[in-house]
Amino acid sequence: MHTCPRCESKKAEVVSKSPVEGAWEVYMCPVCIFTWRSIEPETITKPEKYNRAFKVNPADIPFAENVPALPAKYIK
Amino acid sequence: MAYKDFRDFLATLEKEGQLLTIKDEVKPEPDIAAATKAMSKLGSETPAMLFDNIYGYTNAKVAMNVMGSWPNHALMMGMPKNTPLKEQFFEFARRYDQFPMPVQREETAPFHEVEITENINLFDILPLFRLNQGDGGFYIDKACVISRDLDDPEHFGKQNVGIYRMQVKGKDRLGIQPVPQHDIAIHLRQAEERGENLPVVIALGNEPAITTAAATPLHYDQSEYEMAGAIQGEPYRIVKAKDSDLDIPWGAEVVLEGELLAGVREFEGPFGEFTGHYSGGRSMPVIKINRVYHRQNPIFEHLYIGMPWTETDYMIGINTSVPLYQQLKEAFPNEIQAVNAMYTHGLVAIISTKRRYGGFAKAVGMRALTTPHGLGYCKLVIVVDEDVDPFNLPQVMWALSTKMHPKHDAVIIPDLSVLALDPGSLPSGITHKMVLDATTPVAPETRGHYSQPLDSPLNVEKWEQRLRELLR
Ligand SMILES: [Zn+2]
Repeated sequence: MHTCPRCESKKAEVVSKSPVEGAWEVYMCPVCIFTWRSIEPETITKPEKYNRAFKVNPADIPFAENVPALPAKYIK
Repeated sequence: MAYKDFRDFLATLEKEGQLLTIKDEVKPEPDIAAATKAMSKLGSETPAMLFDNIYGYTNAKVAMNVMGSWPNHALMMGMPKNTPLKEQFFEFARRYDQFPMPVQREETAPFHEVEITENINLFDILPLFRLNQGDGGFYIDKACVISRDLDDPEHFGKQNVGIYRMQVKGKDRLGIQPVPQHDIAIHLRQAEERGENLPVVIALGNEPAITTAAATPLHYDQSEYEMAGAIQGEPYRIVKAKDSDLDIPWGAEVVLEGELLAGVREFEGPFGEFTGHYSGGRSMPVIKINRVYHRQNPIFEHLYIGMPWTETDYMIGINTSVPLYQQLKEAFPNEIQAVNAMYTHGLVAIISTKRRYGGFAKAVGMRALTTPHGLGYCKLVIVVDEDVDPFNLPQVMWALSTKMHPKHDAVIIPDLSVLALDPGSLPSGITHKMVLDATTPVAPETRGHYSQPLDSPLNVEKWEQRLRELLR
């Protein structure tokens, strides 16, 4: 498990490893679906350096607008 | 002339000196996106780029900026690479009029070489990478997405081929942005009303005619495949999918078969868009991938999108201008000269027209607002005289500076529809629109001092020709 730089959940998992062994790994966060590569700049990979304007609060995710809108029968 | 497949087009670009292979090792991020953005800054005649030495990969190939210049756009149409923009516009309009060109059906395709149906992992199959720093992940943004009308499945024209942004959200999972104005949103709506998933096919790495047709604003029942045939002047080749009745471009490098999941919305984005702004943080539909095919050692074609101008603007410049031109000519066949709707997908459009009487140019501008594309774009329409080339911005600026009187020639219409991605719209999807009449007033509109327009010295055209030859 890895920490998501964007929403800081601790649940991110490896989704891919470089064909050349040990070059990099790709992680994905199941909470905010942020995806990143281990060798990207620290402004992408480090929670404390991730651009604050693009941070995601997990509590806001259920309230994101549906585009396109869902037909009535799917709305609980 | 038609390009057989994506590789055939790349070979032509290389032969014409319009393909730069980057042999030095690059990192997936930020190098590939940075190099592509930098290439766009070098002007409007830049080459495509092929990256074949990417850190961590053994044999990945990534092609960028494939249609990112006017020479490459000319070569897409099989024209000499130095064809002037206005000539490309009129030739595209001529071919657009050849629609529909019947398709050619094939039984097998090169992408059948490798087929994967188990343990699909898109992150392993495709050399994916981030484009812009605020992007929420790795995207696919130049692929053809194919779907059918569920209420009229036999109607070939209602099968849609479109280009949509798709976020890779899992090993076999994509997020997609079908904005309500897009044809695929109609198909999704039908599926969700029935409670069924919508079959889709995604084709990556196509020859450029289908990419151009897929990015052209056609009517709902017009086939992009029949338009691609018209653009390339030969029947377009397609092959059937295995899990659905969908038709696939024969020359694709990689094909994903799957289904749009009915009733599902999931957090998506942000993604840097063609407006030069990010959009995202909304919940969007999801595609589950069930089958992947690809050629041996596929080339991954990707598109950098961001602050204009980038490849997107070359890809959707002329094919946005021509439908607007044709639709205006339906209303005013003897007057409309040319249309330039190349700025941010036609949020700004420039129309060159003759005038029959005073007030006519404003009517032309208003008509542009009610064309299919104008409903979502054309926030600013500039109308110029027939002797002003709308593709020549210094000429357009001259017309604005000398022919437009703000009291009489600036018309604002409140609260019209616009695409929701327009960052200035408020609420999102609603904006005022403006027509600027920069034509010379004609009777009964007699204001201004326009009776003595400057002529040129005698024989300027002859000299122009002679100098061209001397400078060759
Ligand atoms: Zn996260």
